[in-house]
Amino acid sequence: MNDDAGNPFAELLEEYVAECAPLAQAVGDTLVTLERRWEEGDPADQLFGTLKGSLHTLKGNSAMLGLTAIQALAHCMEDVCAFLGERPDLRPAASGLLLRGAGVLVEMVGRAARGPLSADRSEHFISEAREFIQAESVGTETSAPYPERRRFERRTGSEVGELGSDGVVSTIRVDARRLDGLLETFGETMIAGLGLREAVRDLAIRHRGAGFTDLEHALTSLEKTLKRLEGALMATRLVSIATVFGRFNLLVREVANAHEKRVGLVTSGGETQLDKTVIDRLGEPLVHLVTNAIIHGLESPAERERSGKPSEATVTLSAVQRSDRVILTVTDDGRGLDPERILHKARQLGAVAADATPSREEVFAMAFLPGLSTTERVSALAGRGVGLDVVANSIRTLGGSIEVASEPGKGTKFTMSLPLTLAVLRSLLVAVDGERYALPLGDVAESLRVTNEAIHEIDGHGMMLWRGQVIPVSDAAEVLGGSARASRNYCVVVRSGARRRGMLVDGLLGHQDVVVKALDPSLGRPPTISGATILGDGRVACILDTARFAELRATEASTATLS
Amino acid sequence: MKQELKPSARDSLLTFADDVAHQGVAVRAEAAEPERHLVIFSLDREEFGIPIARAREIVRVPEITRVPQAPPHIRGVMNLRGRILPVVEIRTRFGLERAELTSRSRVVVVEAHGRMVGILVDVVSQVVKIGESAIVPPPDEVVSQRADYVSNVARVGPRLIILIELDKALLLENVSTPAPLIS
Repeated sequence: MNDDAGNPFAELLEEYVAECAPLAQAVGDTLVTLERRWEEGDPADQLFGTLKGSLHTLKGNSAMLGLTAIQALAHCMEDVCAFLGERPDLRPAASGLLLRGAGVLVEMVGRAARGPLSADRSEHFISEAREFIQAESVGTETSAPYPERRRFERRTGSEVGELGSDGVVSTIRVDARRLDGLLETFGETMIAGLGLREAVRDLAIRHRGAGFTDLEHALTSLEKTLKRLEGALMATRLVSIATVFGRFNLLVREVANAHEKRVGLVTSGGETQLDKTVIDRLGEPLVHLVTNAIIHGLESPAERERSGKPSEATVTLSAVQRSDRVILTVTDDGRGLDPERILHKARQLGAVAADATPSREEVFAMAFLPGLSTTERVSALAGRGVGLDVVANSIRTLGGSIEVASEPGKGTKFTMSLPLTLAVLRSLLVAVDGERYALPLGDVAESLRVTNEAIHEIDGHGMMLWRGQVIPVSDAAEVLGGSARASRNYCVVVRSGARRRGMLVDGLLGHQDVVVKALDPSLGRPPTISGATILGDGRVACILDTARFAELRATEASTATLS
Repeated sequence: MKQELKPSARDSLLTFADDVAHQGVAVRAEAAEPERHLVIFSLDREEFGIPIARAREIVRVPEITRVPQAPPHIRGVMNLRGRILPVVEIRTRFGLERAELTSRSRVVVVEAHGRMVGILVDVVSQVVKIGESAIVPPPDEVVSQRADYVSNVARVGPRLIILIELDKALLLENVSTPAPLIS
């Protein structure tokens, strides 16, 4: 199965989770659909059959690993299904019960590899299910209160076949840590290649370019191969975003019910792929956005009807790839953000001057300020005091950016732009104050030569004309805590959403693919630095968080320290 | 254990100590007293000691890259065979001026909480074993709130060696939460 040393049972458990977690999730998803179909009076027998099949497989797999609590839970859900098979009239009434079971199932399967499971919740469900069956059996000819006609059967080969392979694509399952190790080694190879390139360049300069053609050719071909290797390696790490979207069916239903809202979830672009590292860390911010949207963004069904909207609200999750980034949106058709309230709160927090009149776009951007979006109300599901600033921070640590647009009464749309991969960054190297910095190329709108005359100053804030637009300009050295200087020769225009900002630098050192490494936490997470990399000469260069730089407000851009 | 030994005598004692350590429990029981194995380095005129078990390696000072807006006791980051480590300017932590790099400057790479951190020091003088009896707590008057990293003082002949508590000296305990852009 797996030749790693270690506890073989632990590995079996991991395999179990890898196989059964999606299955448990599918049980939940199927039930969400069934609930709707049943309410509409459609017995949906075929889908119901799929559900029973999934439960049966889950039961079998759990039994093989001695996970008796999960086995009993799946078994009990099967029994409820069998009961509903005979009593189609009870199906709509029982869907809520089954969905609760599915929630417990998803949670228990997910935790199975992380130590012993508590059976509290599954037992609670089982007794609830027994009561349901017993109550509904009264008066019918079924004398047994708990129909136990089906025995536990070992899962058969054919079931495995149905589930897994389609006979065409051959796939293997690989421990993600191995892929990470591979990526790390690749990164080192790439840095070594960069070093080799610099050494060859030095050699050629010292010997006036004589006789190094073969060496240059060999090196160029090595670099091309490395590039292909990078592509292949990245492809093995891509996971479709459907794995993240998948968990939202149950979540949306649960949150909506708890807050007496009627919500339908629409997802699109689930086949869009992202690096595993990004996928793994995307779930949490998305959960916050979706729960926030349902709890705070959507109106009650009655309120919606009064304002002429369909009583069922819609939350949409979408993903689409744009060159080397993925654009994710979370949209709701609720009441929208109130710009007045945001501005009022921002003034209270002192984040905006009392007499300032920011544009609507600027006001919405303030929703991501710390302390602004946290509502006073604390709800069981979403109101863990998690504000939009936390969401924005997690998106930023993924090298992404987030924006919000809203139309009062019509709804709210969060748009996130994320890099396809976190490992290798296409960057522009610049020189600032004797250090080199890497700028993500995706955030660079243009780099150009400038003269002192092109930079205008008002009250210590620089600005310039760029493509017919007046944009703010700051001295990179000053923002990065160094000394401002009278003249800098180059300007890099960086962007974040619709914002542009010129960044004055000492020199442009060319494009380079760099391997991104995280900074040690003891460095205190400097606000304008997102990571570091090792350049060809073995020295470390910091990676600038250009999006953050572009979003600097005037007061911050003009002071040396940011916090 | 006697403190004032000729270098040769000290070396043979160290060899003996190593042998003892290798021969296991039975022989160790006969050893005179428990000892601490320390790496000694200097900052200005003072000597400091850290447990050798914490020191991973001692390297010549590589190019150090400044990190904007990093805490003041961080000199920058360095590349150690493909890993990026923070370099702590421990002199400023101990109330001294920033270090002038010389040919004798070194970075002591230590492990802390599973992470590697470099400490910039003036000179690494030696690796010694010191008997427990030579190790005493520092006078109360010396250990202020700010100097809470001093754990003990060791006497080696006429020398006083300040034993430091690495986690406190490196300020690793209060790994900060992300600073908000606007506070």
